[in-house]
Amino acid sequence: MQHIIEMVGVSKIYPGGCAALKDINVKIGKGEFVFLVGPTGAGKSTFLKLLFREELPTRGQIFINGKNITRLKPKEVPYLRRRLGVVFQDFRLLPQKTVYENVAFAMEVIEASPREIRRRVPKVIEMVGLSHKMNSRPHELSGGEQQRAALARALVNNPDVIIADEPTGNLDPDTSWEIMKLLDEINKKGTTLIVATHAKELVDAMKKRVLQLEDGRLVRDEERGVYCCET
Amino acid sequence: MKLRTIRYFFREAFVNLFRNGWMSLASIGAVASALIIFGSFLMISINFDYIAKNVESQVEITAYVEDSVDKLKINQIEYNIKSIDGVKEVVFVSKEQALEEFKKQVGEELLEGIENPLPNSFRVKVETPQEVAGVAERIQKIDGIEEVKYGKGVVEKLFKITYWMRLVGLAVMAIFAAISVFIISNTIKITVFSRRREISIMKYIGATDWFVRWPFLIEGMLLGFTGSLIAIALLATGYSYLYDMVKMNVPMISLLPIEEFYDYSLGLLLMGTVLGAFGSGFSIRKFLRV
Repeated sequence: MQHIIEMVGVSKIYPGGCAALKDINVKIGKGEFVFLVGPTGAGKSTFLKLLFREELPTRGQIFINGKNITRLKPKEVPYLRRRLGVVFQDFRLLPQKTVYENVAFAMEVIEASPREIRRRVPKVIEMVGLSHKMNSRPHELSGGEQQRAALARALVNNPDVIIADEPTGNLDPDTSWEIMKLLDEINKKGTTLIVATHAKELVDAMKKRVLQLEDGRLVRDEERGVYCCET
Repeated sequence: MKLRTIRYFFREAFVNLFRNGWMSLASIGAVASALIIFGSFLMISINFDYIAKNVESQVEITAYVEDSVDKLKINQIEYNIKSIDGVKEVVFVSKEQALEEFKKQVGEELLEGIENPLPNSFRVKVETPQEVAGVAERIQKIDGIEEVKYGKGVVEKLFKITYWMRLVGLAVMAIFAAISVFIISNTIKITVFSRRREISIMKYIGATDWFVRWPFLIEGMLLGFTGSLIAIALLATGYSYLYDMVKMNVPMISLLPIEEFYDYSLGLLLMGTVLGAFGSGFSIRKFLRV
């Protein structure tokens, strides 16, 4: 299998001496669905931040699509991010823009043509099941709907990988389950997914690959894994 | 860069400008007052320069010839003056010419029927104003010269004043430029701060730094541009008023014509705009590091 993400001996020590990640070695194949689990402060967020180059590793190399992203010049970072879609626990939609405008904004930013935007945006919104709320603003939507909108925005530029940081952290169990199913659908269409989460039941039910971080170390890497066993 | 992207930049810049209306006004006021003060110093300084140059070009030695000297001797004196080092030009002014000029100055009627009291004279121009004293001294020594007059001290004083004016003007300009940058950068910082979320989202989506930066730069430039327009309008009004006043009350001093001011105003406009761009450039730097 071709690896879309590869971390080799990656450590991250924040200024002040806090070691968030210690010697991480991991390979993620194209089209995989990977859960990143572990207690708060285990390094999940740092793991994700390294992937979209918000942070640089202190040691080690990170490859995305075979390209060493630790060597990217600042000017090249935006083009890396266009290959990645990001989803956050707090959705991060622009409050003054409608769902349609929020999604279209992601395409405007990368200077897509208006024709392409008009063609692509409704399609993606339909894909996440939000067509009926296309012209609503975020505050008129439920949490689940907001996360769908955020997912549409992450998807609209056809990324290779979607990185989701606690995508269901603010949602009730039923809604969380719907979002997970949606993520699974997206994954089945060929997008690689990396999802950091605390949602034990969901991880157990989905039976996907699980990476468990504890105190900055990768302590478990299991195909069709479960959230975990208390040690 | 695509045309619609540029349109997007300008739309964003204008929206921000109006969203923070009061701060925008404050920034425009800051730029305007900075440029008015700087512009005033500039105008004073270039006017001193202009006046000094005028006086300098008027610096000449007038050498009065003794009445007893005959025509032949006058030619000889002229030759002697011409052979002095540093003399540029010698013009002979006869008694009659002198009287004509005097009549023009005071009016024909007053001098009617009076015998010409004026002497023959030479008007001597020198290469550089600094040589006036030396040349005058040597002319004085020529036989047949009654008296020598020149106005050197005035020019030197003027030069000294222009030198200090320039220095002070430069210092004041630097200080006010810094103040303008500071105030503009604070205004833009407020816009940037209220939109930091949007900026971070843009950066996550893969916007380049320049895509984020341009609307803010344009906003800063608009602030600077508007401020300098106001400054120029006020300076032009004030200056033309001053110009007329000086012309009426102090006719021997001629100030730099107002048309020349418009050449400088283009410079002021450019300066205000650049200050605005600098101010916003400073304030956005920090927020781009996502």
